[in-house]
Amino acid sequence: MREWLARLRDWFRRDALDGELAEEMRFHQAQLERDARVDGAVGGEAAYVARRRIGNVTLAREEARDRWSVPWLDHLQQDVRYAWRGLRRSPGFTTTVVATLALGLGANVTMFGIVDRLMFRPLPYLRDPAQVHRVYLQTTIEGRTRTNSTIPYTRYLDLQKGTTAFSDYATVTERPMAIGVGDAAREQLVAGVSGTFFSFFDARPAIGRFFNSDEDRVPVGSFVVVLGHSFWQSELGGRDVVGKVLQVGTLPYTIIGVVPPGFVGAAIDRTPAAFIPITTVPANDELWTKDTYFTSYSWDWTSVIVRQKPAVSDVAASADLTAAFIRSRAAQKLINPAVLPPEKAHPRAIAGAVKPAAGPDASLESKTLLWVTGVAVIVLLIACANVTNLMFARVLRRRREIAVRLALGVSRPRLALQFIIEGVMLALLGCVAAIAIAQWGGAALRAILGGEGAGVSVVTDWRTLAVACAFALVTGLLTAVGPSLLAIRGDLAGTLRAGAREGTYQRSTLRSSLLIAQGALSVVLLVGAGLFVRSLDRVKTMRLGYDAEAVLIATPNYRGLQMDTIVRVASRRQLLETAEAIPGVVAAAIVGSRPFGTNTTDLFVPGIDSVPKLGRFNFQRATPGYFKTMGTRIIRGRSFTAQDRENTPGVVVVSDAMARVLWPGQDPIGQCVHIGVHSDTKPCSTVIGVAENAMQQNLTDDQQFMYYVPVEQLYPSGGGDVYVRIAGGDPAASAESVRRALQRVMPGQGYVTVQSLESVIDNQRRSWMVGAAMFVAFGVLALMVAAVGLYGVITYDVAQRLHELGVRIALGAQASDIIRLVVGQGVSFAVVGAAIGLGIALAAARWIQPLLFKQPARDPITYASVAVLIVLVAILASALPAFRATRADPNTALRSD
Amino acid sequence: MAPTTKRELLPGTLDMLILKTLGAQSMHGYGIAQHLLRMSHEVIRVEEGSLYPALQRMRQKGWIKAEWRQTPNNQRARYYTITAAGRRQLGAQQAGFAELVTAIGRIMDPA
Repeated sequence: MREWLARLRDWFRRDALDGELAEEMRFHQAQLERDARVDGAVGGEAAYVARRRIGNVTLAREEARDRWSVPWLDHLQQDVRYAWRGLRRSPGFTTTVVATLALGLGANVTMFGIVDRLMFRPLPYLRDPAQVHRVYLQTTIEGRTRTNSTIPYTRYLDLQKGTTAFSDYATVTERPMAIGVGDAAREQLVAGVSGTFFSFFDARPAIGRFFNSDEDRVPVGSFVVVLGHSFWQSELGGRDVVGKVLQVGTLPYTIIGVVPPGFVGAAIDRTPAAFIPITTVPANDELWTKDTYFTSYSWDWTSVIVRQKPAVSDVAASADLTAAFIRSRAAQKLINPAVLPPEKAHPRAIAGAVKPAAGPDASLESKTLLWVTGVAVIVLLIACANVTNLMFARVLRRRREIAVRLALGVSRPRLALQFIIEGVMLALLGCVAAIAIAQWGGAALRAILGGEGAGVSVVTDWRTLAVACAFALVTGLLTAVGPSLLAIRGDLAGTLRAGAREGTYQRSTLRSSLLIAQGALSVVLLVGAGLFVRSLDRVKTMRLGYDAEAVLIATPNYRGLQMDTIVRVASRRQLLETAEAIPGVVAAAIVGSRPFGTNTTDLFVPGIDSVPKLGRFNFQRATPGYFKTMGTRIIRGRSFTAQDRENTPGVVVVSDAMARVLWPGQDPIGQCVHIGVHSDTKPCSTVIGVAENAMQQNLTDDQQFMYYVPVEQLYPSGGGDVYVRIAGGDPAASAESVRRALQRVMPGQGYVTVQSLESVIDNQRRSWMVGAAMFVAFGVLALMVAAVGLYGVITYDVAQRLHELGVRIALGAQASDIIRLVVGQGVSFAVVGAAIGLGIALAAARWIQPLLFKQPARDPITYASVAVLIVLVAILASALPAFRATRADPNTALRSD
Repeated sequence: MAPTTKRELLPGTLDMLILKTLGAQSMHGYGIAQHLLRMSHEVIRVEEGSLYPALQRMRQKGWIKAEWRQTPNNQRARYYTITAAGRRQLGAQQAGFAELVTAIGRIMDPA
């Protein structure tokens, strides 16, 4: 073994070794010459004696040289050189193949990089990742399953106490918080983690130390902070900051350490700037939950990470968690009688993937990404089919050369190996280009996906690079094996005897099948692209229940300024009045939460024994301008007004769907609902109006049970965003003037951030946007590759049939006949391919249906358009070779051999 | 100088002789050849065609190391040095060879 390594090392520096040996022998000869002179030889005689003494120098060199030659390596090197020369001789072929493979491989490397990061790659520094899970809690009520990975802190305490299958428990929450003071304050991602969290990792602090469970105590932990490494580097210059004080959120924290580079905790694709004890988060967050977060179950905000004991299976772990979950719900029922018993709620806990995208409540977005990855593989298959076809054609063109080489004694295995080497080389060249594509494509895709992604580079990511090379090698072998077998199977003598015409024209069934397969797969992708585009179109044109285009959301952040209710309400009113006075603002409102971030609380309606059984009812707190600002129409009754205050009778506006489900067949106006925790004891709120249905929970929400209450009547001291409606089309242009106007009236160190409602909605539309963008990109790519493939095959066929076509022309065939003949051949491929492809698409429809937005996956219009498109492309791709065929000169054809 | 009859070395003995030579001190190829010639009273004349391939083989096996140095006459020459592995090899070969010689002696000279 060691000797072989030495030989291999010598092989790489064999030229240097040759030189050294030569010098060594010259020295030897010089010594012998000197000896001869000492013995009395003179002049040339000495050299002669020395030469005779030294014996056969060439033989010595040859034999020494054998020691650093490795025969198969020499052969490989020769073959690589030979293949390289061959590829450089036919630049057209090489470019086409490399480009095709680069696109196919590039698509896959891009997708792998993203999906791997999102779902599969273990968290950096995590010790023994196979044993670590995230806890997901599920309930199935009335056949409707809800999965949650964020749960109340109290639930975490219950699960920790109630299970035995785990050796470690940690809980974590990630949220944007302002770090720093004054102008230097920036909103950053901050992770609140339990004191047990760091022990899940094999990480040592870059400086200082981590915090432990003593500093993470209920009700309020110590105000200590461990910094993220990149934050420490970029914001604090990597200085020794241990012991310094840093404002995190609303409170000062003492810096005790810095995590090592690349440490992200449990965050996915984002890097927290700081880690603080999770028990300091409620106190920090100006939340009314600060005294109750460890006893109440009303706030879903923490995620639980557990490490299984070594002998415990995943199933046993989940069973243990489920039992604890059921006991925890029983404890919860003592506080809140509305909690459904296990036989109604079917509670279940799952020890699942640490990365939520691979867990049981994976977002539509991550499911779409997995599909897109499958699509990328199909694109690669199409590219492979195409390249194989081109290689077959190349082997056929080189038949005479191959026959000559066989006749000269090249062994068939060696010949086959040469073709395979050529294929692998092409694939590796394609791979290099693919990595460049992935570098660029990955950045573009991450831009659509949002998220951080900074510093993510394919070129420096060995995991992605390794996969890229593996893909390339497999691709190279896959494409080259067939053609190489064809190359060595040829009948040597026959080929040599045949003339330039290369025998009679015959169409290979294998090549036709490859062509049809390409067509079929392209059709599948194009159908997918069509469906996603139509689906996205539906998402965009759907009535949301509000007009989002002209609405801006300004979020005030008071940075922990201690304000009593009176000051807070006054500040809120001042913000609203300022907003209404901004030029160009036609309406403004204070709104409790954003669309898709609405809250739910207990609801009691006289005459209905369990409202939660009917579904999830979300509420929105708002000032009277809400409906005008959002553009949500009031269908019946009225909206609330400035006269509906904290001390006046409660009023509520309900959505149309809510009115229908609660009071079917009755007039909702004047009905009574009780809102809030222990709702049955709360005073009655009277329904004063019905609003049109609005998407407030998510875009696929088919219940749309929504009710609106005046800010002053529900959590009057709670916060809220300022929504403004801008006159004219372009709210983005007004964003800065809105921010500046509101910033002026913010008390203390508070600040305001502004975003458009449209961007909030785009986050919800993302999965369909990603699906549409990627399917279209890959579909078009596939179509192009297939078209190039068809063009190549038809061109080759025409070249092969030139003789036959010449004869036809000589016999009186018109140009139109020839064109019909050639184009007809192309179209027949397309038709067969389309038929198969549409069949596959129909069969796959039921799997892709859940990814689409109210768009039937068997939409005939999409299917028909794709079929027409593929035939059109086939006509285009075969038209050029067809015209070339009409110029076949019968004279040349008939005179040549 | 009296011409000497050329004797064939027993197979495998060349390695042993080279290792033994280098066991005393580092030497260049010419030095090794001269040393063998002198010590064997001009019986063992190693052909360069055998010497240098053998040196390369032994280097790859890790028994000896090679490095370029200046000779006392200020010429550049490649010196070979025995390694720890080389010494172990020498010990093994020497023992084996001694055994072989004794055995042959018993056959040729049955006393």
